[in-house]
Order: sequence, then C-alpha cells, then structure tokens
Amino acid sequence: MITLNLNVNGKDHRLEIEDHMRLLDVIRGPLGLTGTKEGCGEGECGACTVILDGNAVDSCLVLAAQCEGKKIVTIEGLETADGLDPVQQAFLDNGAVQCGYCIPGMVLSAKALLDKNVAPDDNEIKEAISGNLCRCTGYDKMVKAIKTASEVMQERGEQK
Amino acid sequence: MLKRGRGIALSWYGTGYGNGFPDYSVATVELAENGEILLRVGATEVGQGSKTIMPQVCAEVLGIHSDQVHMICEDTREFLDSGTAAASRQTYNTGNAVLKASESFKKALLEEARLYLKLNSTAGLEMADQKIWLPIFPSRKTTFAELASHLKSEGRVLAVTDSFTAQTIGMNPETGEGVPYWPYTFNAYGTEVEVDTETGRVQVLQAWCVQDVGRAINPDLVEGQIDGGFVMGLGYALYEDLGVKDGVIKNNKFAKYIIPTAMDIPTIHKYIVEDPENTAPYGAKGIGEPTMVPVAPAILNAIYDAIGIRIFELPATPDVVLKAIVADREAKAKAAVAEGADANG
Repeated sequence: MITLNLNVNGKDHRLEIEDHMRLLDVIRGPLGLTGTKEGCGEGECGACTVILDGNAVDSCLVLAAQCEGKKIVTIEGLETADGLDPVQQAFLDNGAVQCGYCIPGMVLSAKALLDKNVAPDDNEIKEAISGNLCRCTGYDKMVKAIKTASEVMQERGEQK
Repeated sequence: MLKRGRGIALSWYGTGYGNGFPDYSVATVELAENGEILLRVGATEVGQGSKTIMPQVCAEVLGIHSDQVHMICEDTREFLDSGTAAASRQTYNTGNAVLKASESFKKALLEEARLYLKLNSTAGLEMADQKIWLPIFPSRKTTFAELASHLKSEGRVLAVTDSFTAQTIGMNPETGEGVPYWPYTFNAYGTEVEVDTETGRVQVLQAWCVQDVGRAINPDLVEGQIDGGFVMGLGYALYEDLGVKDGVIKNNKFAKYIIPTAMDIPTIHKYIVEDPENTAPYGAKGIGEPTMVPVAPAILNAIYDAIGIRIFELPATPDVVLKAIVADREAKAKAAVAEGADANG
C-alpha cells in the first residue's frame, strides 16, 4: 500500500492505494467517478481519457503512483455552477452523441485541445481526437461540435 | 503517383425480421397522475434514438410536446417486449405500435373526457396542449391533469396497449414467390478517393450520401445514422480485418483490428430523401443498416475509376491494392512483350 495525494476536479484527496493500481482504477474505484470508462485497457481506444496536468492521457496507461501531487480532471469535473462546459453543451447541441460510451473521453480530449489552442482548424481537431475511437457517430458531428465549442470559447474570451 | 477517382453504388434493403417471421411490437400509453404521458415500450435505446422518436410519434398523435411524454424502456418489469433493436426495425415496427397505441389511447381519453364533461358524444372534441375542449361550447373543457386526478379519485388508471405485426410472406423455396420484406429502404452513395500507386494506400476524400428515409421523424438522428453507417462501411471497405485463421481471430485488439479514426473520415455530404411509406408511422422507415450497404461498392468503384483496376478482396488495405497494381503492371508488360513478338513474327 502507498499513500497518494491527488487533486481531482479541484478537490484534494489523500488515498491509501495498492502499489499496482492504474490511475483508471483509482478514479473508478476509491474515488467512485465512473464517468471515466474502461474500453480496451491498453491505450488504443481512449474511453478512459482524463486530463492530467493539462494533457489528455489514457488513464489505463498511467500508474496511479506516478500521479503524486498532480491535477486531474475527469468528465465529472467539467460542469460548473454556470452550467455545462462549452464542449459538453456543443456535443448536445450538435447531436454528436449516440451510444455515449466514448463521449467522456472524447469530450476531455477536445477540452484539453481547446484549453491549449482555442481556435484549432479541422485537421488539428481530428488529430486531437484521433486517439478516441467511436463506433456510432462517424465523428462528423463531433468535429462540428468541437468547432462550435471553439467559437463559444473565443466569444467568451473576448468578453472577458 | 496520386490518382483520384469517383464511384457510386445504390442499394435497397428490406427492414424487419422478414420472410414471414412474426415481427411483433407492442406499446402501452398511460396517463400519469400529474397529467403527463407514460409511454411503456420495450424498444432498446442503444444510441440510435428510439427513446427520442417514440415519444415524438406519441406526442404528435396527442397534440402535445414530446417532452411531456416519458418513455420507459429500461426495466423489463415495466413494459411488454417489442423485440430486438436489430434489423433496422424499431422505427417502422415499434413506431407503428406506438402510433396505434397512441391513437387508441386518444380515443379512450376522449371517452373519459366525455363522461367527465357529461357530453352525449366525443364528436367535435378537440385535444391539444394537454387540454380537451368542445369548440362549439368552449366552457365544456378539461385538462389531462384534471382527468388524471379524477381517475385517481375513482381508483382507476387509464392505460391502453396496442400492437403492430409487420406484413411479410415467406418465400416459397421452389418458386421463389413471396414478399420476404416490407418495407424497403433505398439509397445512393458516391465517394471520391485518392489512391497512392506507390504504396497502395486509399483515402476517401468526399462522400455523398443520398438516403431515402420515408419520413425523417428526427433529421438530426437520421444524419447521425448516415454518418455512423458510412464510417462503419468505410472501415469494412478499407481497414477492418478480423484475420481469422484456423478458426482463431488474429486481429483481436484495436492495435491490430483497425477501425476508422476521426483522421480517416472524408467530408460527408448528406441528403435526406422523404418519400413517405403509407404503412409506416408518419411515413418513416428504418435506415440503421441500409446506411452501410452501398459504402464498400462505392469506394471500390472509385478505386477502379482512379487506377483502372478492380479490387475483389476486402478490406482493400494498401498491400491488397499494391498487389493488384503490380499484377496489373506485370500482366500489361507481358501482353506488350507478346504483342511485340507477334508483330516481329
């Protein structure tokens, strides 16, 4: 057992965990944040994507012990008192969701992109979500949704 | 060298179980205590949108907003079975059951209103926005909520169940006579591809998907189905190979079984064709599977247009395409040599 200090969705946690646990296991297990999905468990599908210190990562490929003192954002952390995150809202408004299994990871990959580059072009968007597999939507509406979110975030940025 | 080509393919596809197999769907419409509508339907929502469009059908019949219809499809204690979410059948088959149940419920609700308002007949009663009234004597009026609390005071629940069974006739194995499917969905898809003749890599640059849907109950969902079907067809045509050898699946993980990513998708132009089917709920037909059918032939035809070579193997991965290009080049060289020999001889 080891002690792990993590900041998850803005809240500090001190956890006693098994040495071998993956970040994904900690998120879904002790933290109970089941919005993060396990798909392939080997870094191919992106369903388990979370944001780790600003970068989208596959939480199935990260050992929890490597995350001491780090900041993690999961899908549960996107909604604020002001409502849904622009990416979440844009996915809803564009009908970019079908079965939903890939959506938490897809939204977080998009969020990580837009936080770094608020005005990406189509290719940058496609590349940013290319590690997230989706079998239902054909990606088209997702790309449109991320463009919509980008526009909303740019408008908000200008207003600030 | 990069070579571009365009190809089209058309398909028609019978939806439902077909071949005379009893394709049965059932729905129950119930007045909830608060005057809203409960729609109990065993139609599984797997992301295709049945939980969106079934309430739309019910709401259309009852003249209310679809937000006022609560569909229950998650707990099998709460509804009767409407068969699988398969065979592209829920919109047409279960949609018809919902339509019939909603129409029967409307009649039953009007009859309750007649009794409650002490009228001779339901003739001329209007229903909209959760209200029922008699236009020729407008003070005779009530609401869904008022009727619901009246029913509750009498210890009654108004729930109406109705069903739909599709009409198909199994084919006679001797003569081939029959009507194996009804209805059919039609489409015509086109693609533009770029083939790299050095590597055999094929990229789809653009797609045009013209899809008959009978009636688009929810155009956003129809577009989503076209996108999804096209991209699954794209994977089938160019990438996805289980690699079954001696009964064992070789490509048993996403690292080896390659499905399209966002970087593989072309611009997808979508055209919805509405030609209402007269046996369908508001004319709507299923398109779940049909959206995938013409994709591979449209891509293979485009490859042929680009390089003049027919590919007969799926998926048309770079090695398959390159092998075909090399074989074609060698065959042409041989023919040229033979021709030269003929000319000399």
